[in-house]
Amino acid sequence: MKATGRPGKKKALPKGAASRNAKTPAQAEEHLLVEAAQSNPARFDALYELHFERVYGFIAGRVYDRASAEDLTSEVFYKALANLKSYEWRGVPFVAWLLRIAANAVIDRSQRASRERPIADDPPDPGFKPDMRVIEHRARLFRLVKQLPETQRRVVQERFVDQRSIREIAERLGKSEGAIKQLQLRAIERLRAQLEGGHA
Amino acid sequence: MPKRTPKRPLADQLDEVVQAMLVSLQPRPEAAPHREVAPLLSIARELRYFPREEFRATLKSELQRRASMSLNQGIESSAAAPAKAVHYMRPGFTSITPYIIVNGASQFIDFLKNAFDGVERLRVPAPDGTLMHSEVAIGNGMIEAGDANAQIPPAPTDIHLYVNDADATFDRALAAGATSIYRPTDEHPSGDRWGALKDPFGNNWYIATPKSWTPGPEGLRSVQLYLHLREAHKMIPFLETAFGAEDIGTHKTPEGRVLHSTMRIGNATLEIDEAHGEYQPKPCVLHVYVPDADAMYTQALRAGATSVEPPTDKPYGDRSAGVKDPFGNTWYLNTYLGQ
Repeated sequence: MKATGRPGKKKALPKGAASRNAKTPAQAEEHLLVEAAQSNPARFDALYELHFERVYGFIAGRVYDRASAEDLTSEVFYKALANLKSYEWRGVPFVAWLLRIAANAVIDRSQRASRERPIADDPPDPGFKPDMRVIEHRARLFRLVKQLPETQRRVVQERFVDQRSIREIAERLGKSEGAIKQLQLRAIERLRAQLEGGHA
Repeated sequence: MPKRTPKRPLADQLDEVVQAMLVSLQPRPEAAPHREVAPLLSIARELRYFPREEFRATLKSELQRRASMSLNQGIESSAAAPAKAVHYMRPGFTSITPYIIVNGASQFIDFLKNAFDGVERLRVPAPDGTLMHSEVAIGNGMIEAGDANAQIPPAPTDIHLYVNDADATFDRALAAGATSIYRPTDEHPSGDRWGALKDPFGNNWYIATPKSWTPGPEGLRSVQLYLHLREAHKMIPFLETAFGAEDIGTHKTPEGRVLHSTMRIGNATLEIDEAHGEYQPKPCVLHVYVPDADAMYTQALRAGATSVEPPTDKPYGDRSAGVKDPFGNTWYLNTYLGQ
């Protein structure tokens, strides 16, 4: 089975790179993306697209508010871009490297200013092994939200990101409050079904 | 098994627990009350972490900018460059923070700790031993405070404080030296359990446990500024024009008197009503984070504010400008420049 997801990106990747120790098609794909970005930082955005949800989801569960999650996510990707050349494959997935940077960033911030209170998940310790099942589940949920029908997606966005009341959303969308509640229910039921059903 | 079949529509049940989750002051919401709702609520909890699309796009474009910089200058020099802040708010702050000027700032900090479990974050003493600046976190909000002096008179402020147990907090505040205006009651028009007290420094505190309040954009804020104003109806268009505020709920009498209004700026809200009885205007100081302090300063002046201080870079890492609104409140419009 061929790795999927990024038509058109492969043309410019270095030839022969995939043959080095890649174990799965997904890892081979990622390895190619990393090598491409290491030789040309402008290609880093493919890695960003691939891993944004994982990194953000990992951090968001460990800090107190959205602004901190965004700050730290920015910091992780800035550091990753700046230190990309120091990353070596050695069978360690790129995402593990990113999550290590993320865990350290959360710890650093917490220790530096005592301003962040790790809350939702256990704080990572220096020898941490991220629970990839949880991270993948959250990242997958984030991607599935984007695939919701437009009105359902908008209700999710306004309710959970903007944290508007049902009444406000109803006014903004020109619908009844009952309709908004139904859309919220349908969106969440759909997300649940897709998460439980394997492939979205 | 059939005993627990829900009687009300699932959409209503789900929204009830979602609403409770969104307004909860606890990091972890309570378990869903019904087994049909529970698995949906677990998805809803995760959705609270859903990233803003705008942020995802902004970060991508910033990474692209850095990548192209590194192509020209070498990645090492890019890494050494100071990080451009994607966010304009200092970590730990929301868009609106009350800045309370008092006589006896140290004692005020003690009061915040004893009454409200305040956590002191920063204390900057002046050479004469008074406090030039301090920051105290309460719940998920922040209060800044400093000592009054000959140039800066006291500016007591009214704060709406959301807590998990209004009665217990109220009693602790009384024990810490506050005096009761009225004890928490369920009869408040907001529908929340709500009491009012005055601290020894002249600030009013409206202590509430949320029951029906509509949360702000980032959830319920523990600390909200409350402005009692004369001709409060004029403040609403001013805030909209000067600071791009959004009116997210205003109740007026048939004559147009503002009974209550909630205005949103950035990720925080403040409340307004027409001054009445014991609740009279107290021109106060607000510390507001905005994406572009210079632009907001100009916009505020055009809307009728007067200048207190033009935009300048501060040693603590903010760009800051000061304006006074037509009601006498002073607004510091800051943009965090990053560390």
